[in-house]
Amino acid sequence: MNSDLVIKDLRVSIEDKEILKGVNLTVRAGSIHAIMGPNGSGKSTLAYTLMGHPGYTVTGGEAWYQGQNILELEPDERSKLGLFLAFQYPVAIPGVTVANFLRAAINAHRAEEGKDPKETAIPMAQFRKQIREQMAALSIDEGFARRYLNEGFSGGEKKRVEILQMAMLQPGMAIMDETDSGLDIDALKIVSQGVNTLYEQHPDMGVLVITHYQRLLNYIKPHYVSVLMDGRIVREGGPELALELEEKGYDFIREEVASS
Amino acid sequence: MKTFPTLAELSDTTILDVSQAAGEPAWLAEQRMAAWRFFAAAEPPFWRRTDLSKFKAEQIAAAIGASATILVWERDPAGQGVVFAPLLQALHTHEAVIRQHLGTAIDSQRHKFVALNAALWQDGVFLYVPQNTAVELPLTAAFTMPAPGDAIVARNLIILDHGASVTFVEEYRSDAGAGQAFAAPITEMFLGNDATLRFVTVQTWGEDVYHIGAQKARVGRGATIEWSAVNLGARVQHVEAETALEGDGSRVEWVAATFGGGHQNLLTAPWLRHIGAKTEAHMDFKTVVKDQSYTTFDGMIKIEHQSRATVSRLEEHALHLTPKARSDSIPGLMIDTNDVARAGHASTSGEVDEEQLFYMRSRGIPRDDAIHLIVMGFFEPVLDRIPTEALRQRIAEMIEAKI
Repeated sequence: MNSDLVIKDLRVSIEDKEILKGVNLTVRAGSIHAIMGPNGSGKSTLAYTLMGHPGYTVTGGEAWYQGQNILELEPDERSKLGLFLAFQYPVAIPGVTVANFLRAAINAHRAEEGKDPKETAIPMAQFRKQIREQMAALSIDEGFARRYLNEGFSGGEKKRVEILQMAMLQPGMAIMDETDSGLDIDALKIVSQGVNTLYEQHPDMGVLVITHYQRLLNYIKPHYVSVLMDGRIVREGGPELALELEEKGYDFIREEVASS
Repeated sequence: MKTFPTLAELSDTTILDVSQAAGEPAWLAEQRMAAWRFFAAAEPPFWRRTDLSKFKAEQIAAAIGASATILVWERDPAGQGVVFAPLLQALHTHEAVIRQHLGTAIDSQRHKFVALNAALWQDGVFLYVPQNTAVELPLTAAFTMPAPGDAIVARNLIILDHGASVTFVEEYRSDAGAGQAFAAPITEMFLGNDATLRFVTVQTWGEDVYHIGAQKARVGRGATIEWSAVNLGARVQHVEAETALEGDGSRVEWVAATFGGGHQNLLTAPWLRHIGAKTEAHMDFKTVVKDQSYTTFDGMIKIEHQSRATVSRLEEHALHLTPKARSDSIPGLMIDTNDVARAGHASTSGEVDEEQLFYMRSRGIPRDDAIHLIVMGFFEPVLDRIPTEALRQRIAEMIEAKI
C-alpha cells in the first residue's frame, strides 16, 4: 500500500462556485510539504475537502492514500486510515472534556468490527499516562484535560490542543491548516516544536503544511513547497521557493503565470 | 393496598373519615375538605400545551397511607436534630411547624390538580434541618409507581432553618408498564436566612404516566438554592415550578435537563421572582427532543417593584435530533422596577451542529457516537450537579438509551 497522498486533478465547488480547478499534488510519506498561497487561492478548501467536510462538493478528480480513494470515505473512516486535519478554527464542544473527547477518538481508532468496544478500549491507566506526557511536552496545563473542548480557549490554547490530538492519534498523514494564524511567537514555537517532535518520532509521517506566510516555515522546515493560486498548483520547488515568495510576494508568480 | 374510592365516587365525608382514622389534627381535615370542595367545583385547567385529552381523571383512586415513599439517608449520626420522615408520620411529632408552613408556598386553589393534592396527599416527606446544621450526605425521597392504574399524591415539605445546609433529592420512577398511572406531587421548600439547599428533582416515570406537579421554594435573606431538574419519563408532564427570592441577597442556580422522545408531551413552567434587594439568579435549561415528542419551556422572570439591583440570567437551549419533534420556548420577562443591575436572556434551538459533527468525525468518531457525545455534553451542566454517582449513572444511562 502506498503511504503517499496522491491528489489527481481535484476539482471542488462550494455552492456551484468552482474553487479547486484541477489540483495535482503528491505528498510523500516521510516528507514535510508546504502549500503556500494568497488568500482565496483555495488552501482551506483543499484541507477541508481532503478530510471530507460536507460543505464542499467534489466535482472531479481523486485523492489516493493507503490504496484507497479517500474522497469516497466518510470523515471518520479517513481518520482511521491515518489522515489528520489540524483545524484553522477548532470547534468548541460544550460539556465534553478534552480527556473524554480524546479517549472517544482513540477508542474509535482502536475499535474493530465484530469486537466489543470495551475489549479494544485503551486501558485507563495507559491513557492517563499518555495524555499527561503529551500535555507536558506541549506545555499544556494538566487542568486542561478536564476543561470542555475548545470552550473559552485562547487561540494559542486551541492550536496546542490540536497538536495534542495529533500526538495522541499519531496519524500517518497530517494536514495543518493555517496552524500559525492567531499565534504569537512563543505559541508558534511550542506548536512547531510539537509537530517537529512528532515527526522525529514518526519519520514515516507525511505532513502537509498549509500557510499564507513563510513565518511558520522557519520553525517547521519543509522539504517541498508548492504554490496554490486560483485553484491550481502553479509552482513547485524546495524550501528556497518559500524564501523567494517571502522576498518577492505572490505577485511575481501571478505575473509569471499570466505571461506563460 | 388500601385506596380512596375513585375520584368519580369520592366525597368529602370519606376524606374526613380517612383523616380522622389516621388521627390527623382537625385543621388538616379542614384543609383537605376545603381543597376537595374546590377540586369538585373547579373546571379542568385549560392548558394549551399539555395534552390531557386521553387522561381519565375520574378513574383515579389514590392510595391511602404513604405506600410509595422510600427514604434513603444516613440516619443523623451526630444527633444534630435533623428530621427526615414521611410527612404523615411527622405530623405526630412536628405538628406545629408543619401547620405553620404547609400550603403557604403553593396556594391550594392554584388549579384543580393542586387542590387534588391538598385534599388527598398521603405520600411525601418532611425534612427539617435545624439552625446552622450542615448535612453532608444527600437525603433522598424516592417514589415508585407500584402498578398501572395507581395514583401517587405526594406532598413534600422541606424546611431549612437559619444557616442550615442540605442536599435533598426527590426521585419519581417506575418501570415501563401498560396502563395509565397518575402522579400529582407537590414540593414546598422554605429556606431560612443564609441557608443552602441543593434540590434535585428527577422524573423518570414509565411511559404511560401522567405527571402533574408543582414545586416552590421561598428563599430567605442570603440563602441559596441550587435547583437541578431532570425530566425524562412520563407520557405527559406538567410541572409548574417557582423560586421566590424573597430575602435580600438570596440566590438561585437553576438548571434543568428535559429529553422528550416517542410521543412524550413534557412541559416545564419555571417562574422566578426577584423580590429582595441584590438577588441573583442563573437559569440554564436544556431540552433535547426526538421522534414525535413535544416539549415546552414556559418560563417567566418577574422582577418585582420592591426589588433592587437584581442580577438575572436565563439560558435556554433546545436540540432537535429528528425533524418531527417539537419544542416550544416561551420565555417572559416582567420588570416592575427601574433598578436592575443586569438581566439577560439567551436562547437557541436547532439541530446538532454540522461543524461540531465534522470536527468530531475528523478525529475518527463515527457520526452516531459523535451525536451521543454532543447530547451528553449538552446535558453535562445538569448531570454535573447530580450528587450521587449511582443516580448520575442511572440518569446518564437513561439518556444514552433515549438517544
